[in-house]
Amino acid sequence: MDFADDPAAAEFRAGLRSWLSEHLAEYAHGTGYESAEAVERTHKWHKALAQAGYVAVSLPAEYGGRGLPDSYEGIVNQELAAAEAPPSPPIGHIAHAVVDFASDELKTRVLPGLLGCTQVWCQGFSEPGAGSDLASLTTTATADGDRFVVNGQKIWTSGAMWSRWCLLMARTEPDLPRHRGISMLVVDMESSGVDRREITLASGSREFAEVFFDNVSVPAANLVGERGQGWQIAMHMLAYERGPADMGWVGRLGQVIATAREAVSSGQLTADEALRQRLAAAAVDVEVLQWHVARSLANRGPGSRSEAGSVDKLLTIRIEQNLYHVVNDLAAASFVVGPPTTFANYLWSRAQSIYGGTQQIQRQIVAQRILGLPRD
Amino acid sequence: MQIELTSEQRAFSDSCARLAADLAAGWHRGRGPGDIDPPAPDEKAWARIADAGWLALGLREENGGIGATAVDLAVLVEQLGYHAVAAPIVGTLMAAQQLQTWQAPAELLADIAAGTLRIAPVLTADLRSFAAVEPAWLLRQDTPNVGPATPPNLGPTAPPNHGETAPPNHGETTPHGHGQTGRPARGTAEAGVLAWDAAGAAMAVLPALGTAYLLADATGFADVTRAVRPLGEPAMTIDLTIPGDDALAGLGAFALSLLTADLLGTMQAALDSAVEHAKVRSQFGAHIGSFQAVQQLLADSHVLVEATRSATYYSAWAVDALPGAQALRAARAAKAFASRSAVEVCEHAIQVFGGIGMTWEAPAHVWLRRAQADRLALGDEHFHYAAIAAAEFAAASTSKSGS
Repeated sequence: MDFADDPAAAEFRAGLRSWLSEHLAEYAHGTGYESAEAVERTHKWHKALAQAGYVAVSLPAEYGGRGLPDSYEGIVNQELAAAEAPPSPPIGHIAHAVVDFASDELKTRVLPGLLGCTQVWCQGFSEPGAGSDLASLTTTATADGDRFVVNGQKIWTSGAMWSRWCLLMARTEPDLPRHRGISMLVVDMESSGVDRREITLASGSREFAEVFFDNVSVPAANLVGERGQGWQIAMHMLAYERGPADMGWVGRLGQVIATAREAVSSGQLTADEALRQRLAAAAVDVEVLQWHVARSLANRGPGSRSEAGSVDKLLTIRIEQNLYHVVNDLAAASFVVGPPTTFANYLWSRAQSIYGGTQQIQRQIVAQRILGLPRD
Repeated sequence: MQIELTSEQRAFSDSCARLAADLAAGWHRGRGPGDIDPPAPDEKAWARIADAGWLALGLREENGGIGATAVDLAVLVEQLGYHAVAAPIVGTLMAAQQLQTWQAPAELLADIAAGTLRIAPVLTADLRSFAAVEPAWLLRQDTPNVGPATPPNLGPTAPPNHGETAPPNHGETTPHGHGQTGRPARGTAEAGVLAWDAAGAAMAVLPALGTAYLLADATGFADVTRAVRPLGEPAMTIDLTIPGDDALAGLGAFALSLLTADLLGTMQAALDSAVEHAKVRSQFGAHIGSFQAVQQLLADSHVLVEATRSATYYSAWAVDALPGAQALRAARAAKAFASRSAVEVCEHAIQVFGGIGMTWEAPAHVWLRRAQADRLALGDEHFHYAAIAAAEFAAASTSKSGS
């Protein structure tokens, strides 16, 4: 049992800290997904972080990672948050699908761009008719010689507007039971027949899009894993997407607490005793989440159960949504008056229980696959 | 970084679980409150506990102990909670650690380690803190407190083996300047305090007074697996030394960590049992565990158990690895989280059990009782939130004077 950095981890942490102190100022401002300029700056930041060796550190070195234990992803997350840097690119789950399932040829072809952040990727999973019930997806990929022909529509595709590649779930075997008929393909978003339309979120963020596939040709060599293995790969990925550290989240919540603490102790915001106790309770929650994530990352490895990601996600939802209620109350009138950031952050906390599988779906996963309760 | 039990710790956990299950099997809830076994093991069971080395775990070797880590102790205590063991082991471990921190004589500690001296810790009557300990580590300013004071001269009650070295070297320096208001009149030291987890204990010590007291009969206590008892007559004086702030904070962290582990085991037991019930109980022609409403309740409970497990491990690790003040801060957070979570999980379990969960016969109320009582011991979540708020979320002008 050791929650502390060993010497190698401490050295890694110190190295990242010193890199940040030297380079962060160049990239820190104006990132986000609200405008084309902000997106461009975000991608510049991702590229710089990747060039410095701080992206996908837990992935194998031969594909552009650093082959470090998963706990190092937590260190990156913590240090970026502590430095108030923009988050790292959320690509760990996509990278795991490619690294763990794709052919060597495909890996060699696409991983350098993914892990180097020189090419942006998106994830084509949800459809208008397949949200929580993802396995009901109807986008098809019909085998035709040495290629697949893709037809259908995806939605909530994060980053699709500026992506070069899409990791796409499509039905290749319409006659098989629905979970077994899905395959995972790497689709070039510059192919003819791909049409993207931006979705503006309630917060104003323009990160999401709808993507339409009209007879899009995809080389058979771009199949990830086997035909019919798509569901299994997706579940494998979700373990990483649902882990809060992978999505750059836990550190940021710690930062929210630190900011609140500073605002109260400096007298910038005032809190009565009841609110101060709620702040303390929220701080306790975030600390417990940090310890829990540290434990999850330290224990995660090849063959670990993807359901554990659902536990972490559920814990994050509970803690984050409560945290924002508390800091909104601390913000008082400035929750609704003035710059839109506070309200946008609050809206995003509401999305936490929807994307990556809703809170209700995660609970069913925990109940059925971890606790062994019967399906109806 | 490795954040799980080692294979040795897992094996230790298994052996603790076996003895804990055995002890639990020998304790009967009976048909109602008047028919229940007291939470005190008989001589034979106590001997098994002592033989297993449980009482010696936390003490250093020179004090007749084993010198195990706080993580090892958490492993044991989780199993005691899981099996709702009705024997004052956590209380003994806590009292032993307190006396070791106050540098009690080695032979006294060795007697506790061997199980021959059965001793309980003394808490303030509101259960929020150790009685008569300086407030630096657990108390808020408004918390009732006894002492410290110079030890009363109890003369002839002092036994030959302990307390002979005169003069006692505690009480001479009054830490933190609280002594001027805290000195109790003789005979009132035992008011406003309770010996906790004291079933079968021979005595309990107020360290700041350097005095061990006999114990009165148990007071009513919601947790049927433990007893609390008022103090009786002074029994002997003990030669003690006031610990430094760091050691006192470390003691607080240690004690809170044990309670957190006990809450973890208790909530895990309640959840496991509720899950098993949901798999076999049928309504509407289906197992109730197949209903989404029931699944969601139990899934949330599982999340709370796993988060509490992480908190338990961190808290215990911090006792072993971090300075006292940091360990105490971590232990406060862990105990606050566990207190709130354990009660929620135990309440969910009762909900899943339905009417059966409200009967004396079903074990669900035993877990809820233990969770609620553990929650209050050494401060519930509100107590620790308030302490954290005062230290960290106060406006600058007040935080300076308050900390």
